[in-house]
Amino acid sequence: MNRAREDILGKLQAAYGRRPGAPAASIPPAARIAPRRPAGPEAELAQLLTEIERLSGVTRRVANQEALRAAFAELVRAEGVKRATCWTTPDLEAWGVAATLQALGVEIVPAHADKQRVASCELGVTGVDAALPETGTLVLTSSPERPRVASLLPRVHLALLRPAVLRPDLHQVFAETREAGYTVLISGPSRTADIELTLTLGVHGPKSLYVWVME
Amino acid sequence: MTQTPATIDFRRNTQQVPLQMPAAVQKATAKFLGTRAAVVDALGNEYWQVLRQAGHDIRLHAITYIDHYLAQAEQAVTRAGGQVHWARDAEEARRILLDIAARHRVKLAVKGKSMATEEIGLNHALQAAGIRVLETDLGEYIVQLKGVGPAHIVVPAFHLSKEEIAALFRDKLGVDAPAEAEKLTQIARMKLREEFLAAEMGISGGNFLVAETGTIVTVTNEGNGRMCTTVPPVHVAVVGIDKVVPDWESLTVLLKLLARSATGQKLSCYTQFISGPPRSEAETGPREMHLVLLDNGRTRILQTPECRETLLCIRCGACLNICPVYNNVGGYAYGYPISGPTGVIFASQILGPKLAGTLPFASTLCGACNDICPVKIPITRILLHLRRRVVEGDESEPATAPVSLRLGAWVGALALGSTGLYRLGSKLLRRLQAPFVSGGWMADLPAPLNRWTMSRPFPAFAADFRQWWRGRYGKARPE
Amino acid sequence: MAIKAQLFITCLAEQFFPDVLKRMVGLLERLGVQVGFPEEQTCCGQPFFNSGYRSQARDLAVKWLKVFGRTDGFIVSPSGSCVDMVHHHFPQLFPPGSPKHRRAVDAAARTFEFTQFLVHQLKVTDVGARFPHKVAYHASCHLLRGLSAREEPKALLQAVEGLELVPLPGEETCCGFGGSFSVIYPEVSKAMMEAKVRAIESTGAEVVAAGDAGCIMNIAGGLQKAGSPVRAMHLIEILTAGKGAS
Repeated sequence: MNRAREDILGKLQAAYGRRPGAPAASIPPAARIAPRRPAGPEAELAQLLTEIERLSGVTRRVANQEALRAAFAELVRAEGVKRATCWTTPDLEAWGVAATLQALGVEIVPAHADKQRVASCELGVTGVDAALPETGTLVLTSSPERPRVASLLPRVHLALLRPAVLRPDLHQVFAETREAGYTVLISGPSRTADIELTLTLGVHGPKSLYVWVME
Repeated sequence: MTQTPATIDFRRNTQQVPLQMPAAVQKATAKFLGTRAAVVDALGNEYWQVLRQAGHDIRLHAITYIDHYLAQAEQAVTRAGGQVHWARDAEEARRILLDIAARHRVKLAVKGKSMATEEIGLNHALQAAGIRVLETDLGEYIVQLKGVGPAHIVVPAFHLSKEEIAALFRDKLGVDAPAEAEKLTQIARMKLREEFLAAEMGISGGNFLVAETGTIVTVTNEGNGRMCTTVPPVHVAVVGIDKVVPDWESLTVLLKLLARSATGQKLSCYTQFISGPPRSEAETGPREMHLVLLDNGRTRILQTPECRETLLCIRCGACLNICPVYNNVGGYAYGYPISGPTGVIFASQILGPKLAGTLPFASTLCGACNDICPVKIPITRILLHLRRRVVEGDESEPATAPVSLRLGAWVGALALGSTGLYRLGSKLLRRLQAPFVSGGWMADLPAPLNRWTMSRPFPAFAADFRQWWRGRYGKARPE
Repeated sequence: MAIKAQLFITCLAEQFFPDVLKRMVGLLERLGVQVGFPEEQTCCGQPFFNSGYRSQARDLAVKWLKVFGRTDGFIVSPSGSCVDMVHHHFPQLFPPGSPKHRRAVDAAARTFEFTQFLVHQLKVTDVGARFPHKVAYHASCHLLRGLSAREEPKALLQAVEGLELVPLPGEETCCGFGGSFSVIYPEVSKAMMEAKVRAIESTGAEVVAAGDAGCIMNIAGGLQKAGSPVRAMHLIEILTAGKGAS
């Protein structure tokens, strides 16, 4: 018998003159809003990429495996990547992400390795479970193949996105993520304006966000 | 922040506002008001008003059936593998956290930005038990190093210059710190990274608690919120009971309102949804997750129907940004971690009129806050009720204003309520003022009216309309 | 049939700006209104209500309702805050369903702030005034937000011949009067007043106009203290200036 719990719930019920266990009224219709209506798929994708770039993300459309390899080579060189940690979803396996990075001399650190080693990775590569064009948002859930730390600890976050994951609004995203244990909406690289209101990127989360559309 | 709240003397606090504070406040608020206006314009005012009403209605529904939703949330969190604790007051909440910390032999805790944890004086309690607690939100980290509280709920250290922050880093962190925002941020990133990785416990607040699935929602920009809730092996969330919302669909409205109102972003960088600890051993994340549901006076707020909407607040800070009083004094004058209009109505009730009786009067009732609040809290209406509570008392509190003031009001109303006395008083004032008047003004008046004349002259009493009317229309002009 | 309007002169305007009241009478009569003045009126009780003294406010509201309840026609006032008191707070002072509550609601329905009366009841925006000066307009809080009178005062000013309306930065920001606030927290009131004075001076206006006696007391005093040549005037003074003046 949790005293504090009974006390608190008791006070709340007394405040409203209710019996314990009384059900809630239904939610008033005015408390709901309709989801955003999407434009066509190309327009939606274009808007997503525009919004991501407005947030200082860097986007790229990748046509095939060869282009992917070239893109990785460029990224590894530009960001000085020596170690990376990755999602191990079927998508990332199919795209050969780990193999490609290893071929470029990058050490793959499993996400379950020692925290310090994961944190020492320059690059984290993930997929994207859903995306929202209006706000340039990437939706990532969590699972054994989708380690949370991959999009959090490294200085660079690379998100590989299939156009089919775009959703019109939060309503549709939530319908899919509601039962997941963990979801994060990512809108741009980490930022703060805490010092003299000056915007700086790369506080505790990643400093750079790359989003590649896998066509 | 000190452990036990002292009586808040708002006037004395406003007399001690540092010279550079108003300009610093106004620079910060102007920026946020500008970015907010741009995103609201982009949505269109008509749709924005629809959103505000929906936001109000869903939050009101939530706190009206709060007991039902809290029970539902508790069940869901437990089902998801989290542990739920209930805290009636600050002392109980602190004890719960200290117990968890002791069980896990915590020596270092990292903390995300959470007004609820400031409210209960958590840091002080943990430190007293020999546990190092680090604020990880950059602004909170800075003011923690300085040994003061936050000056604004969204940008706690806005009032400090980069030179001051650089000096602070040099002094407290022993690093060579240049006065550049980018470099200072990198220093903080490096320092705090070590702490995140070493900490045994991560503490967070919660912007919302979704009853449907027992999901804690955190809204941040820096990534520290994610770090605190992902990296250490134990995560404890301290969430006010008023944060509960019925379902995920509620968030489709509230998430459209929050970031836009706070900083003019469409969404903050990271919106996290945490339902219990990771479901499998193979997932990265904390091994244990605790939710502390905090009352600390919120149940008492709900006992007064006119004041219930105080708890609709989604902590966006827009009312701070628009408030002309806040803009001239900054957050510290309010003596509470949450300041501005929402801080006034919240703190007045959480602390009670004996400690916070000066706060409800810290407003000209201009009403700008009502208009900007994304969930349409009738702030000035609540202020008027709280003023009445101070001077007359109500069902929940006896009057606390000095008897002399109440007597003065009684006499004043008596005089104004009698046409004869009112007109006599008017004539008397015109006569008594003579020695003070020059050119239609009285530049210096005795106390308490010197509180007016210290800043500007008082106009001369000049009532002659009634005589003019009689002269023009005679005595018995039909009405 | 002539429109009938009872004057609700307000205690502040009566004590400090009687000229405004006299001009208001002249203007209303010129516009064909039959003006009455219930002589028993004193104060609507707003200062007490705003300071938390609801019992005293109730007593004064009862008196006000008695005085104006005996009359018919519109009730017109030169003060947005006092009309806001009648509209929004009088009904709160009495139990819903009680006779006093009913009387409060009825009275509220026929009580108008001056600019709203002109524009919405008399359907007039050009009152034939002439005031060839640069004028800045300060939007008094209760008029602006309590009564949603954003456009009416400006519409009337813009119709004045020769008047140049200049934008005032922070037009909608409170001047710092706030009734008892000005003496409870004088330091903050002073800071807000000084900010308003600086904003006015930055416009190069010769005159600042407002629709509330409290604001004018505060701003005029501030301009006087600052040694500024800018005059603070009530809207009615401008609307009765020049060729239309009585």
